[in-house]
Amino acid sequence: MKKYEAVIVLNPNLSSKVDNFKKDFEKLLKDNSFNIVKTEDIGRRQLAYSIANHNKGHYILFNLEGDPSKLLEIETKIKYNESIIRHLFLVVKEHNGEDSSLFVESKNKKPEPSEVEKDKEDVKKDPEPVKEDIEDKSEAKQEEGEDNE
Amino acid sequence: MSKYELPKKFDYKDIDILKQFITETGKIIPARVTGVSASNQRKVTKSIKIARFLALLPYTDMHQ
Repeated sequence: MKKYEAVIVLNPNLSSKVDNFKKDFEKLLKDNSFNIVKTEDIGRRQLAYSIANHNKGHYILFNLEGDPSKLLEIETKIKYNESIIRHLFLVVKEHNGEDSSLFVESKNKKPEPSEVEKDKEDVKKDPEPVKEDIEDKSEAKQEEGEDNE
Repeated sequence: MSKYELPKKFDYKDIDILKQFITETGKIIPARVTGVSASNQRKVTKSIKIARFLALLPYTDMHQ
């Protein structure tokens, strides 16, 4: 038994079918007597460079336990799966129980749209004080944009 | 010399930390410039190379 960390980058066009993929993949792992310790669905991310003409990718992170000999079988199956644009299995000494920084980042990003909508409603009610907030946020967004690049 | 933010354990997923050690063109900054210990520089380099493979960091700024 070895401990593994697996990162899988999925075709972004299949983002809606992620749950199906996860089920299939978990089944594949279980068939090869792999134990899933933790799953992190990081979601869509901008890729630093395009892979197979995709500029975005759906990242999923797994913490696994299993036999090295069975891993080869899993990798051969992944090779011919066209929905996976990149994958990596890493041997780890210990599983880090905490959420990865990527996962935390994706969590922080998701609630933003709803907050923006709420702010818009506030603007209608009392326009003067909120204006400053809007300026602050536009600056914040610009900074985020730079980070993504 | 605490110019850089160093974590207890280096991880290829901590992109913000790794970004300190690459130039604008994507190259890894050499240890003689960063001043980080040889042991830490090896860990940084390894993490950056993994992050590059996963398209979390660029290899260069010339990607099309």
